[in-house]
Amino acid sequence: MSDSASPYRVYWVTWVILLVITVAMLAAESLHMPRWFLVVFLLAFMMVKAVMIGGNFMHLRYERRNLSLMVASGILVTSLILYGFITRESRHVLDLTAR
Amino acid sequence: MHSGTEAAVLEAHWGGGAAPFGATWQKTMMWIFIVTDALLFSGLLCGYAFLRQASPLPWPRQSDVFSIPFIAVMTFILITSSMTMGTAVTAARLGDRKKALNFLIFTIVGGLFFLGCQAYEWTELIHHGARLASNPWGAPQFGQAFFVLTGFHGSHVFSGLVILTITAIRSAMGRTPAQGVELAGLYWHFVDLVWVFIFTLFYLL
Repeated sequence: MSDSASPYRVYWVTWVILLVITVAMLAAESLHMPRWFLVVFLLAFMMVKAVMIGGNFMHLRYERRNLSLMVASGILVTSLILYGFITRESRHVLDLTAR
Repeated sequence: MHSGTEAAVLEAHWGGGAAPFGATWQKTMMWIFIVTDALLFSGLLCGYAFLRQASPLPWPRQSDVFSIPFIAVMTFILITSSMTMGTAVTAARLGDRKKALNFLIFTIVGGLFFLGCQAYEWTELIHHGARLASNPWGAPQFGQAFFVLTGFHGSHVFSGLVILTITAIRSAMGRTPAQGVELAGLYWHFVDLVWVFIFTLFYLL
């Protein structure tokens, strides 16, 4: 935070960026664009917002790298494993209900 | 006394020592709690993905069920409260107690508005026939996913408000150190972070 004139500036700037991204996401949702593009667009901006909140609001940018890595990789890797194992079964359940 | 190698390991970021993450134990424990709590929501969101993909009936279109502009206002309120919380944390660090307290109060007001909006949204949906196991719009699992996801998030907002209120009262009495405000802030930002995922994955996609 020492690189900015006011110690509070980072919060205002992050706030404005988060709002602009949110408006862009809402606009994208209301425009009738291809589904695959909408999914990629929304997921990408969701991750940008998460990084901005974690980095600037929760100060992970200013913490030691091992703490940021523990938090980010712990959540991301476990979530991806959970997603992979849980949702893989959904196709199986859908097939069973279709019989 | 440590040998040269031991001292080098202890000084390294991954080497352990008294503060391996360069943070106090309170802050380290808060981060560990946040990671575990994030995994709770991760599990809930994966469960939602499972329900949606396994549903033989079409998933309701969100714009048919919700007022998306209203949800956008809720998002705006939460993002704004996160900004005021960050300001309170920095003010507390700089020793500006009055400013810290003011921005803590702004954050609490924002949280109350958000909870009010959520209560209104729940009331409207229940009024229109949404239940845990059924709803008038499509796949019956939709209601379950909605009430569980937003209910868990709302309960976190509520507990965040309790923590912030206690922090504000203690801060007004001069009994909360800057780190206390920072820890409360970490939890509040986490609540905002979770909403980013719920907002995108449940309301928009």
